Formats: sequence, C-alpha cells, structure tokens
Amino acid sequence: MTLLEVDQLSVTYTPRDQPAVRAVRDVSFTISDGEFVGLLGESGCGKSTLGNALLRLLSPPARIIGGRVLFDGADLATLHTRQLRELRWTNLSTVFQSSMNSLNPVIRIREQFADTFAAHRVTDNVDTRAAELMELVSLDRRVLRAFPHELSGGMKQRVALALALALRPKLVLLDEPTTGLDVVVQRSILDRLAELRQELGFAVLFISHDLGTVLQMADRVLVMYAGEIVENRPAAELRSDPRHPYTRGLLGSYADPRQPEVRITSIPGRTPDLSVSHPGCLFAPRCPYAEDACTQTHPALLPDHGGLVRCLVAQADRLPTTPPGPLTGATVDPAFVATGGAEVASISPGIADAAGTSSAGAAGARSPNAGSGSLSAADTDEATGAGETAAILVVHDVHKRYTTRKGLRTNTVTAISGVSLALHRGRVTALVGQSGSGKTTIARLITGIERPTTGEVRFNGGGDGDGDPTRVDRLRGRALRDYRRHVQMVFQDPFAALNPTRTVAYALSRPLVNYGGLRGGAARDRAAELLESVGLFPAGQFLDKLPHQLSGGQRQRVVTARALAPDPAVLIADEPISMLDVSIRAEILELLADLVRTRRLAMLYITHDLLSARLLADEVLVLNRGELVESGPTAEVIGAPRNDYTKLLLDSIPRL
Amino acid sequence: MSTPAPAVPTPSRNTQTAVEQGHRSGMRGRLLGRQPGWFAILWRNRKCRIGLLILAGFVLVALFAPVLAPYDPRSNDFPTSLGPTGDHWLGTTVQGEDVFSQLVVGARTSLIVGLAAGLLSTLVGLVIGLTAGYAGGWVDEILSFLINLGLVVPALPLMVTLAAYSPVRGLWLIIFVISVTGWAYGARIKRSQIITLRTRDYITAARFAGDGTARIIAREIVPNMTSLIVVGFMGAALAAIGGEAGLAFLGLGDPLTVSWGTMLNQASLGGAMITGQWAWLIAPGLTLALLITSFTLINFGIDALSNPHLREDG
Repeated sequence: MTLLEVDQLSVTYTPRDQPAVRAVRDVSFTISDGEFVGLLGESGCGKSTLGNALLRLLSPPARIIGGRVLFDGADLATLHTRQLRELRWTNLSTVFQSSMNSLNPVIRIREQFADTFAAHRVTDNVDTRAAELMELVSLDRRVLRAFPHELSGGMKQRVALALALALRPKLVLLDEPTTGLDVVVQRSILDRLAELRQELGFAVLFISHDLGTVLQMADRVLVMYAGEIVENRPAAELRSDPRHPYTRGLLGSYADPRQPEVRITSIPGRTPDLSVSHPGCLFAPRCPYAEDACTQTHPALLPDHGGLVRCLVAQADRLPTTPPGPLTGATVDPAFVATGGAEVASISPGIADAAGTSSAGAAGARSPNAGSGSLSAADTDEATGAGETAAILVVHDVHKRYTTRKGLRTNTVTAISGVSLALHRGRVTALVGQSGSGKTTIARLITGIERPTTGEVRFNGGGDGDGDPTRVDRLRGRALRDYRRHVQMVFQDPFAALNPTRTVAYALSRPLVNYGGLRGGAARDRAAELLESVGLFPAGQFLDKLPHQLSGGQRQRVVTARALAPDPAVLIADEPISMLDVSIRAEILELLADLVRTRRLAMLYITHDLLSARLLADEVLVLNRGELVESGPTAEVIGAPRNDYTKLLLDSIPRL
Repeated sequence: MSTPAPAVPTPSRNTQTAVEQGHRSGMRGRLLGRQPGWFAILWRNRKCRIGLLILAGFVLVALFAPVLAPYDPRSNDFPTSLGPTGDHWLGTTVQGEDVFSQLVVGARTSLIVGLAAGLLSTLVGLVIGLTAGYAGGWVDEILSFLINLGLVVPALPLMVTLAAYSPVRGLWLIIFVISVTGWAYGARIKRSQIITLRTRDYITAARFAGDGTARIIAREIVPNMTSLIVVGFMGAALAAIGGEAGLAFLGLGDPLTVSWGTMLNQASLGGAMITGQWAWLIAPGLTLALLITSFTLINFGIDALSNPHLREDG
C-alpha cells in the first residue's frame, strides 16, 4: 500500500541577492508501507531540500512552489500547522544530517525522550519505554542519565535513531545519518537499522551521497541530479543495469577495494546552474552518450526496463549495452573514456596485460610495487629510479602523549606509540585508520606543527643535500619555516583551506614570494604555471577568482598548486578527497598520482577510505589507537589482510 | 555506441574538462559578482536606512555649523534667560547665549568625539585582542589580564577621576579618557573571534606558505572579521558620545568647547527647570538621544552585513 506519494513537488530558493534557484523540480515518487527507499545524489542536487520539503521544514528563502506530498491521504504541503504537528514524529519522523547536534545539550537523554512523549501525549512510563528504545538501538540504559556531550558521535546517532522510532512511526526519513561517522561505527549503526526495520516494519527514505551504502541498504533507489529524479529503480537492477548515464557515472566512481582489479572514473564538468533555465537535458553537457536532441528536449521520467528513467537515449534504447561498474574495468566503453572519464588507476597485480591493453590504461596505470611486470611504459624508468633510494623522511619510534590538567588531576592520553615509517621519493605511502587513530597527529609531527614526546623525525633532503639529516623534532622558528619549503600539505577541506577573502593569485603568490623570492609579475606568471600544472586551464581565468567562485574540485586543485609552489620534496595529503563529491574524486586522485610521478614527490596519503588508498598508494600502513598494526605493499595489505583491525576496516565497506 | 555530445569536442580529456569548467565558473562568477555592495545591504534594511538618514543629517549640520548657526554660540550679547522666540528659536542661556546656535555647533563636538574615540578604542582593542588571541600562551595570559582589568574597573568613576585630575583640559583629553576606559570590551570580542579563526586551515596553510605572524593577522584574519570590527567601532563611538556628554554634564568637559553635554550642564546649573526654559534643557538631550538612536538603528543593518540570513527579511 502506498504510504507516501510525492507528486510534482517543486521547491525554489528565492534569495534577495541572487537569482532564484529551482532546487527541486517536479519530483514524483512513492514509498510503500515498509519499503526502504534510497535517495542518492551529490552535494547540491537538492536531496536534503527535498527531505526538508517532505517534512515541511523549509525556511525562507526556500519555498514549495507546487506539487503535493500525500502521506496517508493527507497533503503535507497544505495541511494546517496544528494537524501537521500531530502527524510529525507520530507517523513521520526523521534523523537529521547533523543529528550529532540535534540533541539539546543542556538536558539529559531521558528528558529528551520525556519531552517527545509529553508533546505527543504518550502515557507510557517514560523510563520503561525509553529503556526499551535504548535496547532497540543497542545502547546501555545508563546512557539515559547522560548529557549529550558525554556520548560519542556514534552513540548520539543511535540516540537520535531511538528518538525517531520512539512513537513507532510509519516512515522514517534519514538524511545522511552516518556521514561524519567512522566506517566501523557507520557499519554497526546501519546493520542495526536494517534489523530494526525487519522487526518493526517501518518505511525508510534514506538520503545519502554514499553509493555503496545506499545500494546495500535500499530496496529501491532514486537517483537525483540537479533537482530532478533521473532514475528510479530497484537497487539490484540499478547495480547491474543502470540506465541513466549519470547513474552509470556514479557507479563508475565507486569500486570495491578488495577486488583484484580496481578502477574508478570521474564525471567531467560540473553541475548546471539552476538559476537559469535549460531547454535540454540537465546532464547533457557532462554526458558521454548525449545526442543532438538532448540539448534541446528536456526528457521526461518514463518507464524503462522495469524502472523509471529520465534520458532520451535510454528511452530510445540507444544506450551502449556495456555493463559498467567496478568489475569490468577492462572493457570500459571508449566513448565514456574519451569524453573525459578520467581513469585513475588500473591495478592488476596478477594480470600483467590488463593495464597496458585497456584503451586509456597507459595514462593512469600504476603499479603497487616497483618490481612487478604490470608496468606500463610510462612508469618503468620512474619506478626503477625510485626503486630503492634512501628514504627522504624517516619517522623513528615516535611516541606522542598529551597531558591535560584539570584542577589537581593530570590526565595523560597517548596519541601515538612507537610508530616508525619512511617516505621515499616517487612513492605514495597511505596511512589508514579510523578517526582518533592518530593519523593526523603523525602528519602534525612530520610537518613540525607538534613535537614528539620521544622518538625522532629525520628529513634527508634539506638544501644542499649530502649534509646531516634535519631533526624535524627539534626545529623551531626560522629553521622550521625553511624546513616547510620541503614539506607541504594538501588539506582535507578545500572550503576551509582557502581564505574566503583572498584571490587565487594571492594564495599562490605567498609561498612563491616567501620561498622563491619572486616578486610581482614573476610571481603571478609562476602562479599561472602552477595552475596549469594542476589542470586549471586557462590559468588567467582563475588567478583573480575568489574561492567561493570555484567548485570543490577546482579549489582542491588550487590547494594542491599552493602546496607545490615551493617545489617540495614531501607532500602530506590529509584526506584530500573526503570532502569532494564522489564523481570528481577520481580526477583529484589522478592529479595526485600524476604529480607524484612527474615531480618525484614523496607522499604521505592520510585516509580512512581504503578504496582511494588502494588506487593511489604503493604502500599501506594501518594505524589503530596510535599503533601501527599492519603495513606492506597496498595489494597485499588490502587483498590479504592479516591483522584483525585491518579486516574489520575492510569488512565495514559495503559489498556490491 | 553513441556519438559524443556536440558540445563536447575531443581534445585531451584534462584540458577539455578544465576549459569547460572554466567557462562555467566564469559565468557563475559574474552572477556572484552581482552581490550587492555593503552600502546597498545597509540601505535596504529599513531601520538602518532611517538611522543612516538621521546620522547623515547630523553630519551635514556639523559640517555646515558655521553657516547654519544664526549667531556665534559664545557671544553673550543677548537678553538672558529668554524662552523660545522668533529671534532665538530655543531661547537664550543665563549668560545670554543663543541656545539654538550652541545646539548646532555642539553636533560637531559629539561627532568628533564619537569618531576619534571610537577609532582609537577600536584600534587599541584590535591590536591587543588580536595579539592575545593569536599568540596564546603567556602573551595571552598577560593581555587577557589587562583586558579583564579594563572590563572590571568601573568606567565612569575612572573617567571622572582621570578627567578631574588631569593637568590639561580639552577635547583631546576627553577623547583619550574615553578610549582608555572603553577599549576592553572590543578587545575581548576580537580575541575570542581570532581564537576561532586562527585554527582554520587557511591560517595553517599561510604558515606553510612561509608567512609571518604579522602578515597572517593583517592579511588573512582581519579581512575575515571586518563586520565585527565595524560593529565594534559603532559601539565604541556610541559609548564615546555618551561618555563625552556625561563628563561634560558633570562639569569635567572642556569649558572652552560647546557641546551638548556642556549645554546640559549649564542648563542644569542655570536653573532652566525653575525658569521654565524647557527648550534649553530638552533640546540637547533630545539631539543626543536621536544621534545615539541613529547608531543603534545602523547596527541593525550591520548585523545583516555579517549574517547573510538576516538579509532575507526587513
């Protein structure tokens, strides 16, 4: 039976200072009783706006401009506020994207439940019912006495889920419920969610950008692009036979790192500007299959192969039949590659010819270890050169303890214990672990932001070369500044790493002025060269832009260019792609791989994402609670993990 | 096998992607470039618009005071203690000076004090707050102690004491006294703001780019807190105008300057209440209130400047 029916729903943002944006456009879909529907899309596609519109939680300048949201026969879009309030939470509840912050910090967890019950006149005993709910989400009932700040992110998220289920709703809307949580925690919460749905039979609308999770959890998947549903299809069919080119692109950007051969692609271009009207298909400019008609005719969402799809080519059955997806890298459709499917890597330890023979393989092929036979021509001399040179940076038996003082008590936390690692020119070393495992602390020790409690960090590439290694753990002041000429960072969040009030040219010119002694025009010319070296053509267009005028991927390229400006020997990349949309991650990975190769950089790649580690790194170090638990060549560590923690990390990745 | 889109030619994939992105971001850039300037945002807010108009009125009066004032404010050739008449719109003082002329010329004093003391205390607060917040450690300990001292010392008695025992008299003394007692609040706010800003990635990035502390503060941090600085300046100017009036009312002002405060002081000494010269008493009080109100109204607009959410309504 249909529980929720969304009919031609449109939402527009009409800010005063900018043109109106059609964020959600004629969206129609239904959710049946007990169904688990995934809503998949990248940032800015309108998925959260749609979620908020369903709950009628939009605030100005956003407004529903048309359509109906029928829930159990009542139209939520026009319902009187009082009736709406009765319906909300009782029948229709939600876990917000920022659930971590949605619990009131000044009241105990029990009171949050009591509030909910009181507001909806539930007469059950609060303590019994709340304790039941805690049990439901696998939390100890003592949590009820805690304040939100005493709980971890994962626990808070479980509490939010318990609150959402408190009144036995028929539909739960989950908006990126596990984004920002660790892979391991995420896995356990999602597993529990799946079990609960079995038990309680509520329907779910699961909004996420995480393709693997959505495909694994959902019965049916809606794919959203630029405010429209472009595909609506059962999850299993979407995986095996995606019909919209965008869905194909998304699937191509995901792969299971455990597979013997891993390949991901990116979707070129960027999302359309929704403040102007487009006559044709919104995806056409980025679409490898687009035909003339696509630029003129806006496709409708029509039945096709057992689902709904919004694509003229697919509806005319002219889509190439290539089954895409991660497992079929060797037969990538040439059209997709030629029009910009930036292929990052094709790693095939056992299959020597796979990389060499695939049409675009030569461009991005890399080998996990410098001796194997699967190298393409471009790699050979670099690999032998990088072969067994001395390490450029050595971390030796480093410990880091933090001591906090609270009144008379001192509290010591060990962040890092006994970590040793070495970075080599032309090689990528990935440092993998959950948040809190000490990854970032190691980066801070290497870059001299912090000093180790005991142990040494030695750098062998300073200035004239053959002198004694630099003891990074003893540097201060000017010496530290001079050292940073050689060791630069690419930051996690490209939105935070660029000063919003400074132009690209300014950001790039600073290291050039400080380390290179360049002035004025010379610095600007060099900045332009740097931009071109990270793939921003023509550079003149970008020099005078402010960060907010660039897309996420472009910003990350600028951040990378800035790190390259002093011509460093070592590059520390701290989760450089985790904040980017999945469809452009491959692009940035490819850029980094390219830079390591052409500039013979030594790179420390910090990540929790084993897929990107698999694609980029020559060597993987697994960090757990400040200790290295496993290390070795990438393919070995990920292909045949020996440590339990490594296995746990790998098992947390959704299997497709 | 489909043909590639006509819009997408086939040069090497990297170049083409970037060029395409470039064009689009250019288009986007122009759109964003149409962001209204700061003045447009202030002007659109109704409260702020009223405030700006009032302030503009006062500024004009102050600028053209010699033209607008019918008589010399210090000349005492007129009949004393007159009520409002055709010749003397607001009457005359006990000494026989024209009240309206004093009122017009007094606007100058208030605005000069507001501007100068506002700037001075904002500057002091900025330097101390930024240094404390950015440096941290013992520098912060010492400067924070100073700031806290500045906050807890009761400003009015200190102002009175400083003004009363100072060997010199004059407008600049008043400005100095007000700045010395009024910088701490702004410093505290700027310190906490810089503490949140200094851990941003782009600050770390500037350090990695080899920039020194002074440059990071001036070029990376300050541009990100302009609205806070402006709000701070408005607040300081407001307090300064009030402070000057207060000191002058207590008889601690510069006896040679005509200001609304000294007018109030003399009206009260000259027994304006008793002689029924309400205009002499009320006029300077009213103008003061109006000027202070205009600052407050403008602050509504400045809020919208720093918080785009507030721009949507009003």
